[in-house]
Amino acid sequence: MKKIEAIIKPFKLDDVKDALYETGIKGMTVSEVKGHGRQKGHKEIYRGAEYVVDFIPKIKIEIIIDAEMVEQVVETIRNAANTGKIGDGKIFVLPVDDVIRVRTGEHGKDAI
Amino acid sequence: MNQGLLAEKGVFDILTPRQALDSLWKRGLSGLDLLRQHSSLIDEFIKEKFYAVVGEPPDGLCMVALGGYGRKELFPYSDIDLLLLYDKRRSSFIEKVTEAVFYPLWDAGLDVGHGVRTIEACIEDIKNDFFFMVSLIDARPICGDRALFTKLSKKFSDYFGSGSRKKFAKDMMLHRAERHKRYGNHTYLLEPNIKESRGGLRDLHAIIWTGKILFGLRNMEEFCNAGLFAKGEFDQIVKARDELFVVRNRLHHASGRKNDRLYFEYQEEIAKALRFYDTKDMLGVERFMRNVHRNLQTISVASDLFFEHVQDVIRPSPVAVSSRRFCEGIEEIKGRLIISDREIASTKPYIMLKAFAIAAREGIPVHYRSRRLIASVCTDLNPKWRYSKKCARYFTEILAHSTDSTALEQFMGSGLLCAYIPEFEHLRALVIHDVYHVNTVDKHLVESVVQLNRLRKRYAALFQDIADDRVLLIATFLHDIGKGRGGRHAQKGAEIVRDIGKRLGLDGHETECLSFLVANHLYLIDNATRRDLEDESLILKFARHIQSPDRLTMLYLITIADSMATGPNVWNEWKEALLLEVYHKTAHLLEQHELVDPDRIAAVKWMKQKVSELLGDRARGVLPVLPEDYLLSFTPEAICLHMDLKNDLVRSRVICLPEDRGCFWSVLLMTRDRTGLLSKICGTFALYNLNILQAQIFTLKDGTVVDVLDVRSFTQDSFSEINWKGLCRDLKMALQDRLGISHRLAAKFSRLRPVEHKVSIRPKTKVVIDNKQSDFFTIIEVYSQDSPCLLYNITKTLADFNINIHKAKIGSSADQVVDVFYVLDSLGQRVEDDELLKELGKALEYAATSCIF
Repeated sequence: MKKIEAIIKPFKLDDVKDALYETGIKGMTVSEVKGHGRQKGHKEIYRGAEYVVDFIPKIKIEIIIDAEMVEQVVETIRNAANTGKIGDGKIFVLPVDDVIRVRTGEHGKDAI
Repeated sequence: MNQGLLAEKGVFDILTPRQALDSLWKRGLSGLDLLRQHSSLIDEFIKEKFYAVVGEPPDGLCMVALGGYGRKELFPYSDIDLLLLYDKRRSSFIEKVTEAVFYPLWDAGLDVGHGVRTIEACIEDIKNDFFFMVSLIDARPICGDRALFTKLSKKFSDYFGSGSRKKFAKDMMLHRAERHKRYGNHTYLLEPNIKESRGGLRDLHAIIWTGKILFGLRNMEEFCNAGLFAKGEFDQIVKARDELFVVRNRLHHASGRKNDRLYFEYQEEIAKALRFYDTKDMLGVERFMRNVHRNLQTISVASDLFFEHVQDVIRPSPVAVSSRRFCEGIEEIKGRLIISDREIASTKPYIMLKAFAIAAREGIPVHYRSRRLIASVCTDLNPKWRYSKKCARYFTEILAHSTDSTALEQFMGSGLLCAYIPEFEHLRALVIHDVYHVNTVDKHLVESVVQLNRLRKRYAALFQDIADDRVLLIATFLHDIGKGRGGRHAQKGAEIVRDIGKRLGLDGHETECLSFLVANHLYLIDNATRRDLEDESLILKFARHIQSPDRLTMLYLITIADSMATGPNVWNEWKEALLLEVYHKTAHLLEQHELVDPDRIAAVKWMKQKVSELLGDRARGVLPVLPEDYLLSFTPEAICLHMDLKNDLVRSRVICLPEDRGCFWSVLLMTRDRTGLLSKICGTFALYNLNILQAQIFTLKDGTVVDVLDVRSFTQDSFSEINWKGLCRDLKMALQDRLGISHRLAAKFSRLRPVEHKVSIRPKTKVVIDNKQSDFFTIIEVYSQDSPCLLYNITKTLADFNINIHKAKIGSSADQVVDVFYVLDSLGQRVEDDELLKELGKALEYAATSCIF
């Protein structure tokens, strides 16, 4: 089993979500996060007031999937989240030891 | 007691009190009936067990019901509070009785609160245990020695001499305040606790207990007779109580445990059970919850008024009574605002609004008697008062001064608001069944205004820019007025506020603005989270929709106030950053007036229309890739020609079409975009003795470059003398990176220089790099003396830095050249690194001054 963590642009959330549902992904965790990679923060100046935006708002999506699906899911996210511009985000793939469904106590694949 | 019922199997045998309760449910009992019957069933059960071991006469032993059970208000899963009162002589019986009575109750799974005390112990305990004392107020003997109970009652009332009566009232108010703090200090929570929240049943108990102890009132009727409640108020309170009883019963039943909080998960089920069905405009559950909240508010208002009165009674009058007169009819006495004359209130309604405006400004609450007076006056005023200018003025003053919610809530609670703006009545206690809001709509709107006023400090500069904040305040207060009317609430609200705006004396322009703000109060936040803010054309769309910086700023402030008022987790830095970005970018565009000029918008529309007529079916694919600047720079026919040529680009790398225009020649150049493109073009043109006078450079959204270069020969060649074919061939070579432009230029100009290039007084070279003008591009301006290969040098330098040119304006007058480039780095971002900017500036200056040729 693998965990996919994708950092994407906020406005791409709906596209990515829809694309993932189409591949049969049933659940995901979505959070509002801030940070920066190569796309550094920027300065906004308006009417004399300066606002520094150090960390840029992004969306983080987390999904746990069967290892066989990794390639498909990564590709799906990449396609849906891509604008071709900087700041489109990153996708991380992490190993997962086990998954337990709280309600039933099921383990592993069955609990995904 | 209904003997038939008792005879039912399972009640006498039991004995499971739970089964007994179920049988009550099955018989369709609800509300107070159910509570009474439930209490009686438990009574019967206890009596039977008690007499089985005690036997007659039960001297010196009495089983007493306390608290809610004592009041015969026993909810399905409430605690059954029992006291076994005994005389020391009968101590030996205690164990038997407790075993016989308490054990089966416990076995039946009931929550039993139990105490075994002598009278002396009781009196001792009430001194230290407030809750025990309160539960004794409702004590009721169930079975056993009544004389013993009467003795306890006597001692209990003796205990409350005048000193401890006041202490009781003070303690009660303290506990009430603590409870409100703990369970939510207003009645608008979307998951209210029916018992403990403000306006919950506990508030009603507090009134009754305090009335009993402090004023010796035995029941609600006596409250009325004592003038503490008017008849109408009393009926409302009883109705609210009875309805909350029904809800609490259902809630216990639905949760299967002692749960008094009306969680979302139970709301729908209970709404259905109580026959609140969905209608076209509102969900059943929303109507049900509105009902619940209105009942909570009824009790909350009654309890506020009551305890304010209690405070007046028990508070020793201050040595010096402070008082202040604000105007005829309004004074401050002992820290409360008083409307001194009923006559004035009804003949000059603005006085009532003014009182709340003063209350908001000075932070003094309006006295409960005055609120009562207002409540009774405001319902039968001549409707003309809603059009009064004075009233409108004080109304906006209430809004403007509300940095906390007290005055606005009193304004609302007194009924004056709904009398003044009848459209608001619909929102009172209105619940929208969603996961974001924690408050009912009316409370949310009050909070929004409070939040807006709290923004004044932090965003002082923005508030300053708004000429008149009246519209902003009204829009903030009424932004959700369209809720609960079916359909899209922002649109509905925009219609409703037009009438209100007119009544409040707004002129046509202001009313329009008010309506716009209400209609669009979600516009910024929706777009901030769902749209690509790096897309200039999209921001331009926002700017055109909003039209003026003023409206944008007001929308921005409303958005923040609205979000902050919605719930604790709605507003955060994350959203703030996105919203700020939308705001800034849109504001910048709005300041560049030509972009939002209606003429320009019309022209773009017209061009699109014409082009699509000419292109027919192809238009659909083509129009979206055409930038506005491009559309406005050519005739529809020229654009169609470009689109035809674009198809040829698949085969040939470059299209180069020169045209003789007399004093200059115009060259249409089309190719695919790439870094350094412009430098290759400029260099190649220079090789063919062509000086670029002016250039219009466009990159279509699909990466096609359309350039129109106005050129002239610097060697005075004629149009036909130029080797156009060779130019086109060399351009292709250059774009395939097969042409060494620099060395060829050097060779060429070393031959030409002595004749061509006399050094005169050179205008100073200046390079300006700017990131402020545009949110989407870094703008580089180069001022310099003209030279045939100046453009090549500059553009090549930019290419060396891997900087892409997206738009360029090349212009020369006399021998001074001003070249403007809209550029982005290779990652598509503005160039913002300070060190890089410095280096780039130096490099460009060198490039512009070192035109060796």
